[in-house]
Amino acid sequence: MTGASLFGIEMVDIFLAMAILIVMASFVSLYRGIEGPGIFNRIIAVNVIGTKTIVLLVLIGFIYERPDFFDIALVYAILNFIMTIAATRY
Amino acid sequence: MSDTTMITNILTVMLLLVGVFFMLAGTIGFVRFPDFYSRMHATGKCDTLGEGLMLVALIIYGGATFISVKILFLMAFILLANPTSTHAIAKAAYDVGLEPWRSFDSEEVAWLNTGDGDTDNTGNTDEGRAGEDSGEVQ
Repeated sequence: MTGASLFGIEMVDIFLAMAILIVMASFVSLYRGIEGPGIFNRIIAVNVIGTKTIVLLVLIGFIYERPDFFDIALVYAILNFIMTIAATRY
Repeated sequence: MSDTTMITNILTVMLLLVGVFFMLAGTIGFVRFPDFYSRMHATGKCDTLGEGLMLVALIIYGGATFISVKILFLMAFILLANPTSTHAIAKAAYDVGLEPWRSFDSEEVAWLNTGDGDTDNTGNTDEGRAGEDSGEVQ
C-alpha cells in the first residue's frame, strides 16, 4: 500500500465516502426494483445492484486491508453474470 | 510524503470521483427514464464505465502487486460480461414483445407500423414531425 493521506484527508475516509455514495445509489436502484413495472425492470435492477456491490466489495477490501474481499468480488461478478443469463433464458 | 505518492493519491481520487459521478448519473437515469429500453440504455453504459474507472483507480492506488492483478482480472471480466448481460436482457425483452416507448401519440404513427406505405401517408410530411419519420415509409 502507498501513502495514507492527501491534503490532510485520510485515503481510507475517501474510500469510505465513495462506499457510502455507492450504497445510496444502490438504494435508489432498489426503488426501481420494487416499483418497476414488469419482470425485466427487476432483472435490470438486480444486475445494477450486483454491479455496484462488486465495486463496494473491492472498496471494503481496501478500507479494512483484507485481500480476501477481492476473491469474493470476483466470485460475485461471475455469479451475477450467470444469474442474469439464466434469468433471461428461463 | 514523496511526490510520487502524492501524484498517485491525486490520480486515485480523481478517477474515483469520475467513476462515482458516472454511477450516480446511471442510477438517476435508471429511475427517471420512462421506458425499459431507455433505462437499459442508461445503466448498461454508465455502470460499466463507472465501475471500470473506479477499479482502475484502485489498481493505481494498490501499486504493482498481486492484488492489482486480481482487480485487473475482475475489471476485464466485467467489461466482457456486463454488455453481454445487457444484450441478453434486451433480446429477451424484445422476443417477449415489449414495445419501445414513443414520445408522440400512437394513432399518428399507426400507419408506420402497418408497413404498406400508401401514397396518402406521405401527404402529411409538411407537419414537421412526420417529415423525420418519412424515411421509414419507403
